[in-house]
Amino acid sequence: MTAEPYQTSVDIAAPPEAVYPYFTRPDAIVAWMGDYAVLDAKPGGIFSVDINGVPVRGRYLELDPPHRLRISWGHAGSDLLPPGASVVEITLTAIPYGTRVSIEHRSLPPEEAAKHAIGWPHFLSRLTAAAIGRNPGPDTFAESRTG
Amino acid sequence: MSTDAALKALAEPHRRAILRLVRDDARSVTELAEHFDITQQAVSLHLKVLREAGLVAVRRDGTRRLYVIDPDGMESVQEFLAELWPAGLDRLKRAVESEWPARERAAHNPRRDATASGLSKPTSAPAPDVPARQEQS
Repeated sequence: MTAEPYQTSVDIAAPPEAVYPYFTRPDAIVAWMGDYAVLDAKPGGIFSVDINGVPVRGRYLELDPPHRLRISWGHAGSDLLPPGASVVEITLTAIPYGTRVSIEHRSLPPEEAAKHAIGWPHFLSRLTAAAIGRNPGPDTFAESRTG
Repeated sequence: MSTDAALKALAEPHRRAILRLVRDDARSVTELAEHFDITQQAVSLHLKVLREAGLVAVRRDGTRRLYVIDPDGMESVQEFLAELWPAGLDRLKRAVESEWPARERAAHNPRRDATASGLSKPTSAPAPDVPARQEQS
């Protein structure tokens, strides 16, 4: 049983080079994701962001500024999604009025994921369901953060 | 775990501070109490609330009880990610677009202001109906 990757995108009225630093600079990333970040934006460099109390830990795997990044992603101390269990691929595509930011979040290849990706297919399928419009439940954490 | 219980637990500053302390290292009540002006008994009560909310877990080390963050309880992982990406990209869009015009837009594309004042439309201006996101219903 494998889960489909989770995909979403957004169009932003600024060129890719203006968007890219929001994935590599600590002061820029916390403007939209997390409360505290330690980033070392080079291949193998640390990607560490605390989001809502969840310690997200990973590494930059590939960087192709300002077009593409691949980052490994897991949650410190988590059995469901330990560090290294998943990969986020970010693609910045120039469009006539700005940039399309596409996110693909998926498990590692089976041979790597088998080591520790317990629970990944289950929650990834739920995540995909949420993305196509089924209500994943009250979003009280988002309210509390912005308030 | 209940999201309400987690939110109530997070509303108290000492409990948020305790969570930060147990995020990377397992710690005993005694160790935690050293960081605060409140009594060890008060720290124990805060830990009880955090435990009942599913935010921290207890690990035994011989006779000691060590408290650690419970990231699978903070929010279920799928709820966390389901909220994170769509809402996060909305925040990213707002963050970039609030920064970009002020700092760079004039230099990058001065003619955009002409559109705003109703003059002829430059080809590089935003489309009239900029889609906010592609796949959301």
